[in-house]
Amino acid sequence: MRPVVLTIEGAFKRFGGVHALRGAELTLVAGEIHGLLGENGAGKSTLLKTLAGVHRLDSGSITLNGKPFEQGSTRSAREQGIAVIYQEPSLFPDLTLAENVFVGRQPIKNGRVDWSAMAEEARALFVQLGVPLNPYTRARGLSIADQQIVEIAKALSIKATVIVMDEPTAALSSKEVERLFVVARTLEAQGCAVVFVSHRLDEVFELCTQITVMRDGATVASAATLDVTEADIIQWMVGREISDLFPKFETSIGDVVLSVKDLAREGQFADISFDVHAGEIVALAGLVGSGRSEVVRAIFGVDKYDAGSVRINGTELANGSPSASMAVGVALVPEDRRQQGLFMSASIAKNSAVTMLKKIKHGLTVKSSSEIALAKTWAETLSLKFNDLNDPVERLSGGNQQKVVLAKWLATKPKLLIVDEPTRGIDIGTKAEVHKLLSQQSQQGLAVLMVSSELPEVLGMADRIFVMREGHIVGEFLRKDATPEAIIAVATGAVTV
Amino acid sequence: MRALVDRVTAIREVPVFIALVLVVVVTGIANPQFLSASGAQDIFLGVAVVATLAVGQSVIIVMRHVDLSVGSTAGFAAYLIGNESARNHGLIYCLLVALALGLAVGAVNGLLVAYLKLPSLVVTLGSMYVVRGIFNQIAAGNTINDSQAPKFLGFVGRNSIAHIPDLFIFAAILAFIVSLIMHSARSARDLYAMGSNPPASALVGIPVARRTFFAFLASGAVSGIAGAVLLSRFHSADANSGLGLELNVIAACVVGGVAIAGGVGTPYGALIGALLLQSITLALGALGVSQFWQQAVNGTLLISAISLDRYLSSRIKPTTIMRVSS
Repeated sequence: MRPVVLTIEGAFKRFGGVHALRGAELTLVAGEIHGLLGENGAGKSTLLKTLAGVHRLDSGSITLNGKPFEQGSTRSAREQGIAVIYQEPSLFPDLTLAENVFVGRQPIKNGRVDWSAMAEEARALFVQLGVPLNPYTRARGLSIADQQIVEIAKALSIKATVIVMDEPTAALSSKEVERLFVVARTLEAQGCAVVFVSHRLDEVFELCTQITVMRDGATVASAATLDVTEADIIQWMVGREISDLFPKFETSIGDVVLSVKDLAREGQFADISFDVHAGEIVALAGLVGSGRSEVVRAIFGVDKYDAGSVRINGTELANGSPSASMAVGVALVPEDRRQQGLFMSASIAKNSAVTMLKKIKHGLTVKSSSEIALAKTWAETLSLKFNDLNDPVERLSGGNQQKVVLAKWLATKPKLLIVDEPTRGIDIGTKAEVHKLLSQQSQQGLAVLMVSSELPEVLGMADRIFVMREGHIVGEFLRKDATPEAIIAVATGAVTV
Repeated sequence: MRALVDRVTAIREVPVFIALVLVVVVTGIANPQFLSASGAQDIFLGVAVVATLAVGQSVIIVMRHVDLSVGSTAGFAAYLIGNESARNHGLIYCLLVALALGLAVGAVNGLLVAYLKLPSLVVTLGSMYVVRGIFNQIAAGNTINDSQAPKFLGFVGRNSIAHIPDLFIFAAILAFIVSLIMHSARSARDLYAMGSNPPASALVGIPVARRTFFAFLASGAVSGIAGAVLLSRFHSADANSGLGLELNVIAACVVGGVAIAGGVGTPYGALIGALLLQSITLALGALGVSQFWQQAVNGTLLISAISLDRYLSSRIKPTTIMRVSS
């Protein structure tokens, strides 16, 4: 029996009202590659960040090499032998690869940094990993795959016993994935415990010896890869009831509002074709990074696309022009409302009215009374919870902020509403209200295109579902045919439709 | 051989140095007076103050900050040295007063930038005005003249070794020592990391606040010392001493390959940058170009330097790869 390197027991962690971890467990033994799986929001990231020293658990214990793991410092986590390789490593672009490996720990001779010894040690590490990078090159312009190698070399140089790879393959080509697998097996053979987080079941089954599945902040199951099937894993990942009933109203589907044909943008997505009808809610499902947000950004015109066409009511939309899209009635509620959707320090009234300034202005000025009047109507429709419409938006809760963003766009009476993760990070009650609102609007003939990583939301709201993976649409489901298992299977590439 | 050529041209200071040589040679051919001993002295002597300050500034810019207070501090330090000397204090005492002033300004800048996380541009713009204001109040229209300044500084300001003015030799030695430290000390390497990727530097355990504080302290100290160079060079000091120097200093750094976005550059590069700007100014004079054009030319050079830098770094783009088939 190989020695246990790390045990996490009864891990709990709350962020505000959200339980990120509630009873997570993980056991790692020396010389294994351990797959950690779970849907978005299952708590993997929180668990990994705790190991990296970024977060501190509210309760629970972590034992590393027989000693209690000291939490809450990235430096100390590294010194205790845990190295975390992120999906996109954060190297120092102006420093050489050798210095990137040894930053803060450069070998010293006679009180001075020993550059040649540092380069030789880095070269030896790269060779050991089977990827002979030049230690003298600067990190700027290095491919993500090679950046990960530099990070892994760093992990080796600090003699890490636990090496965590957080979705390392998401941005790699298949050749680079193979190379990374070889590296991971090298680490395994040297007795490291490697944690491999991936959404791609095929990869997990190919590489890992043990698999642990998380759901809703807790560990659901852990088993040797040989003893389980992909179907078991999917069952564990989604085995949750669609508990909250989203108020989905029956709608009559009208004419085509949005028609996307053969849309492509280099390196992000290709061959994207679909229609959205009046009164219809269409969801783009898929894993984070599958290209969904990029597609809607291109449709709205925030980014330019390289090929294809976007039509609204039959008229082709100019490429890369949000103002042209808005002029024909397209509205986009972005994923990150704090950064892209709201003026946080401006009042609720001003935020709700900002898209309507042309309609309510008198000459060059805007009367705040007209803004208030406009905001009041929406506040009632949306049952917004606030003290004063003159309060800055940043004082509202996340859910209520999202309502203001929706109000601001619905005020323009759009024909097509695009929402990207409309309920991320907001509480259940407000979530249901947002869903009700979207459903009501679609009943009145609004076409809605929704990007969402939350399966229950997708299944509860959408009339049709397109599943994306790696920049392509890989599946289409009608409301009546869609099941969580089927969507996960397509999104992770376990099944092809 | 090819590898050697690549490595030499990869050094950022090389093109600046080539430009410097070109300016000097071309101007020298057009006007041999430019290359005479006195011509060379003009360049070296004229650059001493800016070069000294640029050495300190390069340390700050490397970590993606800026220190605008250096001109005020150097001017005030020059005045204080003269003032203390006039009150019959010895040279060492006078220099220590200048150093103390520099350290004090550096400590305040450092505290505000490193620990209160205020932007260095604003903090040092503020301290630039505060120091200048106090300086004006204390100097109150007085001028320190040659007879009041310490005798030694007056001598150093006039002396040359092999036609190279002592003051420039001092700046060059300072640049050499600081460059060596920046190359070889772990803590100094941290400054490069901090300028190259600020969020990541905290994640790898670099004590960012402490490093930032001490770098500003060092910049302050250099500014204090530069006060002595200033007094020695002009043999006088008044409330306008050092006015506007900070911009020349930053220009010298940027032209000398210290990227304003941090992470790269060396103190000796900043020194070469200062030399290049000074020799262009003098070259234009030697070629009979109107004084008024000189600033325009220096400004153009500055913009060209950062455009070239941006162009060169945009040529190496991170490659994004995506798996299309599975």
